Amino acid sequence: MANFKKQRSREVAIPNGSMSDIAFLLLLFFMVSTVFVQEKKFWVERDRWPIAESIERIPRNHTTTIYVMRDETILIDDIPTRIESAEDVFVSSTLIRKKADDPELVVCFRTDRDTKYGVMSDVMRQLQSAETLVVAFETQQRQN
Amino acid sequence: MKIGRKRKGKAEIPTSSMSDIAFLLIVFFMATTKFDVKEGIRIVLPQAADEGAEQTQTLTLTENEMTRLQITEDGRIAVNNDAPRNFESGELDALIQQKVRINQQMIFKVITDREAAYNDMIRVVDRLKAAKIEKISLSTN
Repeated sequence: MANFKKQRSREVAIPNGSMSDIAFLLLLFFMVSTVFVQEKKFWVERDRWPIAESIERIPRNHTTTIYVMRDETILIDDIPTRIESAEDVFVSSTLIRKKADDPELVVCFRTDRDTKYGVMSDVMRQLQSAETLVVAFETQQRQN
Repeated sequence: MKIGRKRKGKAEIPTSSMSDIAFLLIVFFMATTKFDVKEGIRIVLPQAADEGAEQTQTLTLTENEMTRLQITEDGRIAVNNDAPRNFESGELDALIQQKVRINQQMIFKVITDREAAYNDMIRVVDRLKAAKIEKISLSTN
């Protein structure tokens, strides 16, 4: 005759002892990846940027920002300059230095949408002479 | 006087709420984290012409190979040799599609007047990028 043993009912439990470890791991990730962006001054307000639809996301770690204001003042590293003639090479000399530090440099323009194109053309010519050829025109996303 | 024997209490730091605190902090960081990216239109400029070069190659391109979009001071657009006129975004899209149908590898040369607004150039380049045009040339007159 078969011997029927009484089955023991096991307690079912999800182990949650390592829950806090997981939580702290996630916490550490978010603490490390969080960057509180602090700019000295926002020279061209976001609502003055042009509006575009086909925009790309550009990681900030290889970028430098050039502000071009409506009065044709150009700012690199918060230093104002102007391009009056071909002898004004502050932009190109600054970018040559930056390009030497970071060969993957992307120059981002934060330009007032009503700025005359002439000054942008002058800056881009200096970019070409500094061989910093990848540029991005920062824009607002068009809201549909 | 009766002196009771002191019970030795087991000293423990309560850790049961540790995960609650951790999750609260996670929620805070998740809410405040902004992955650091910029948004805009990316363009790769051509190399500067080498002044010392002995030979420069001159290419003559036909209208079937290159379309000139000339932006005037007041924001109107002249297509190739046509008279400048105002283009709505939809009209620009249709024009670009029409040119691409002629030649899949069409080059678009955007010639912006020095006195034109930067916004006018961005508007045209945006429509070209939206149409997945890769060969865009920027110049001024």
